[in-house]
Amino acid sequence: MGRTGTDHNAIGQAGTEHNVVGHGTGQAGMFDLAVVGAGPAGMAAALTAADHGLKVVVVDEQQRAGGQIFRQPPEEFTGSVLRPTAGYGWATGLIRRFEADERLTTEFGWSAIGVLYDDALPGGLCLAVNHPQDGTRVIGARRLLIATGAYDLPVAFPGWTLPGVMTAGAVQTLVKAQKIAPVGDVVLAGAHPLLLLVADLLVREGVRVSEVAFAQNIPKPADLLHALGAVPGHVRMLAETGGILARLVRNGVRVSSRTVVTAARGEEHVARVELARVDRRWKVTGTPRAVDASHLVLGYGFSASTELARQIGCDLVYDSPKGGWVVSHDDRLRTSVPGVFVAGEPTGVAGADQSRAEGELAALAIAADLGRDVSATALAEAERGIRTATRFSTVVQRMFEPAREALGDLAGRDTTVCRCETVTRGTLDDFLEASPFVSDVNAVKLSCRTGMGPCQGRYCEGSVGTILASAREQPIGLGGRFSAHLPIKPVPVGDLRTLDSFLDAPPDAPPDGPGGDGSGAVDG
Amino acid sequence: MSESYDVVVVGGGLLGCLTAWMAARDGARVLLVDKDQVNQHASGQNAGSLHFQLEYRMVEAGEEAARVAAEAMPLHLDAAAMWARLEEEIGESLGVRQTGGLMVAENADQVGMLEFKAELERSWGLDVRTLDRSELDTVAPYLSRDIVAANLSALEGKADARIAAPAVARAAVAAGAAVCARTRLTGASHTPTGWDVTLRETDRTGEVRTRTVRTAAVVIAAGVWTTELGQVFGAGLPTVPLALTMTVTSKVPAFIPHLVQHAGARLSLKQSLDKTVLIGGGWPARLMRDADGAPEFDRKHQLIPRSIAGNARAAVNAVPSLERVPAVRSWVGTTTVAPDQLPLVGAVKGAPGVFVATGGSAFTLGPSFARVLTGLLAGRSPDIDLAPYDPARFTEGSTP
Amino acid sequence: MTRDDTWRRTARRRGAAVTVVVDDEPVPACTGETVAAAMLTAGAAFEQDSGGTPRAPLCTMGTCFECAATVDGRPLTRTCLVPVRDGMVVETSRRL
Repeated sequence: MGRTGTDHNAIGQAGTEHNVVGHGTGQAGMFDLAVVGAGPAGMAAALTAADHGLKVVVVDEQQRAGGQIFRQPPEEFTGSVLRPTAGYGWATGLIRRFEADERLTTEFGWSAIGVLYDDALPGGLCLAVNHPQDGTRVIGARRLLIATGAYDLPVAFPGWTLPGVMTAGAVQTLVKAQKIAPVGDVVLAGAHPLLLLVADLLVREGVRVSEVAFAQNIPKPADLLHALGAVPGHVRMLAETGGILARLVRNGVRVSSRTVVTAARGEEHVARVELARVDRRWKVTGTPRAVDASHLVLGYGFSASTELARQIGCDLVYDSPKGGWVVSHDDRLRTSVPGVFVAGEPTGVAGADQSRAEGELAALAIAADLGRDVSATALAEAERGIRTATRFSTVVQRMFEPAREALGDLAGRDTTVCRCETVTRGTLDDFLEASPFVSDVNAVKLSCRTGMGPCQGRYCEGSVGTILASAREQPIGLGGRFSAHLPIKPVPVGDLRTLDSFLDAPPDAPPDGPGGDGSGAVDG
Repeated sequence: MSESYDVVVVGGGLLGCLTAWMAARDGARVLLVDKDQVNQHASGQNAGSLHFQLEYRMVEAGEEAARVAAEAMPLHLDAAAMWARLEEEIGESLGVRQTGGLMVAENADQVGMLEFKAELERSWGLDVRTLDRSELDTVAPYLSRDIVAANLSALEGKADARIAAPAVARAAVAAGAAVCARTRLTGASHTPTGWDVTLRETDRTGEVRTRTVRTAAVVIAAGVWTTELGQVFGAGLPTVPLALTMTVTSKVPAFIPHLVQHAGARLSLKQSLDKTVLIGGGWPARLMRDADGAPEFDRKHQLIPRSIAGNARAAVNAVPSLERVPAVRSWVGTTTVAPDQLPLVGAVKGAPGVFVATGGSAFTLGPSFARVLTGLLAGRSPDIDLAPYDPARFTEGSTP
Repeated sequence: MTRDDTWRRTARRRGAAVTVVVDDEPVPACTGETVAAAMLTAGAAFEQDSGGTPRAPLCTMGTCFECAATVDGRPLTRTCLVPVRDGMVVETSRRL
């Protein structure tokens, strides 16, 4: 299992006299805080919590810290030192401090699959985690921080299931962290500035980028600066975005505005894409033109990863500019479920600065909650950090809010809406017409199986919500959200057998826990 | 009063939808209301078992308890016959397959229990046969070698809980019933001709509107909300809510044609027509309650590690190849039983024109409950003796 | 194997050379790479949907499950999360 702190107690190991997992030290075997996600929010929270004397465990299904935005290359690779994204100079330092911190227990390669409750852990909760080789264990913790980040907003259109179609986040990860690059002509399409960063990354790797298509009018750097005011730390990033635009154009990359991708075509792989002009609300106005491409990169923005919060039963609220369904919280980042806190993108997709600030504030609130001394100055500083970041993120959210209704219209009758269960738009339309009493996405899910496959609805909830809203002439939020259940990432039935292993059947583990080869490092 | 009906059915589960459909088919003007969506609660969250043998929960408490539970057998036999023709009458698939159900045993004690159970069931007219190990090799090769015998009931099987109630709701609409989701019955006053009921509806803009409709009769088909709705009509309808755990897997090639239950463990499993495997069997979850201990059915109930793990162990022990099949969802479904484990079916005492059915196996027995209720609505005398299920049997002074 | 011309390795210094077996074919890889990255650069096919149409990784961050395959006997393993190990056996299938 992963690197642990000095106590050498790890998940799955017989803990204290209560046989409960975790650090001993008379704390009934529970961690004070379990953090899910080692991105900016999770890392900042873990360090702040440890500074206040809390026993912290951090779980992340990737192999290294950084989260999606600062995904690091494997240690074996050249350039395994992270090159920070423009404007985020603090990221490298945060990752290094996090990785070097001996107080933290980290579990990389483990997926959080849900939260359960057990009478044996009064005042605590059980975080269930799963590893592809090492199976399922439960971590006892007094408090939980959901810092699960975000994922690229899925948009269903004809051909989006073809190999060669990928999200901007996917391509960024493969190029930056896995050090592989697409071969052939690449088209990028969507509405988020991340597209520019990815296009630039590709061009610098010598990849032929033929076009970057934005659904909206591209805001000029001057507009952005005007909108933002003088926000220190972001001016450089925006200036850089302007620089990227100029560089792309110099490299012969066509950058189109008011253009969306309406189809990807090809037999077994993308061979060409169709791009069409749209109006100000992103409704297609013209006849699509075909562009040869071997890869299509999609970047319409982000959806908050809220499945864990949903599984636990936290309240959510629909807020389209913030990324759809986001987790409700108070001014100390407490969710509606006692003991469960949230930080980062699940509160609303707002970028790394805000995530880091929220992570710090949540950790302070948790420390105070657990009776630790927390200085008013520290709280005030964390709150100021959030306010500063919010000024920027609110502008970006408004500027880049996806026109969901128009995006919903891109799916035709034969378009696969639910990729896992291969359910088409036509199936949904027919069902809704025949069943006038249905007005909630979960009722659609149950009858049509959209969202019932392995991805648990992450990639069709938006489409289903939009299609339902349009059929019933109701707001998207009124149609509700998919419920989420344990395991929020599927695991073999056999693995569920050890879901209670921390109670009455502690596994026979080596001193550093099961999987003692250290899942944080890759076998050589 | 602009709106009036012959019957208002409260609850859009399978039972409510079936009752609305049957009553509309009889020519009644029917309104079905659900505070949420059709099929959102127990009917859509249960595993769709069509089980007519006594369940583990009924036999684990001893032979006397089993004899009491067996008194519901006439309802079961009636339901078995109705399920067999329901798809044809509804006109679309409900995922019904009555391809047999097994209750399996692993040791001599359990085999002895099976023999007692089979004899009891046969005395009530349910055809149950005991299969030995060599027969199981042919009939159910997917079972573990640890299984030594099984009771087989050919009538048992499954319906698809995902699609059954909505399909029936569509049939009800086609037969003339009105179906209103997001509509909660919040009040009722008795009139000379029936009831004026208050409905609170959330409209498509999210606005909440209240209206009153007049009806001759009301059917409470509300599962865990039965007791609460009984109070609206001034009636005591005691029920006990249970929160139970279910797990479903991803799709695997069809290999389990039967409903499988266990004679010595909490286990019920089957493979749906979608090819997913549904695993349950009565493992408890933590029912959410308010500060006073009253259950809060609109909250998300909590999973218990021991239950999920125990259910998974029981499933893999019985069907070893499930070990590597991905589990996709474990969830909590709530169900209702009456204090004596027998259903609650019939007219509600003290509330003329109000009828109720709930309590234990309301999915399996849904068609029978609905047929009985529709008969009562039309003034027909029931062809099944309803005395054991009288909703008034817990009322003080009543002699069931 | 379908196409060998859609992804290429960029950084020259990678982890140690290993071989994973994808649907009975050897696929060269380097430690540190995820199974998905190794499959992409080798042009190996991922799973097919229920209609027999090929699918491939969409998100490479563990959420879409399009890259899932049976890895060392464990079905529905997300190949984008799992680092390669020498001798690893990957099987893809047509989904139901």
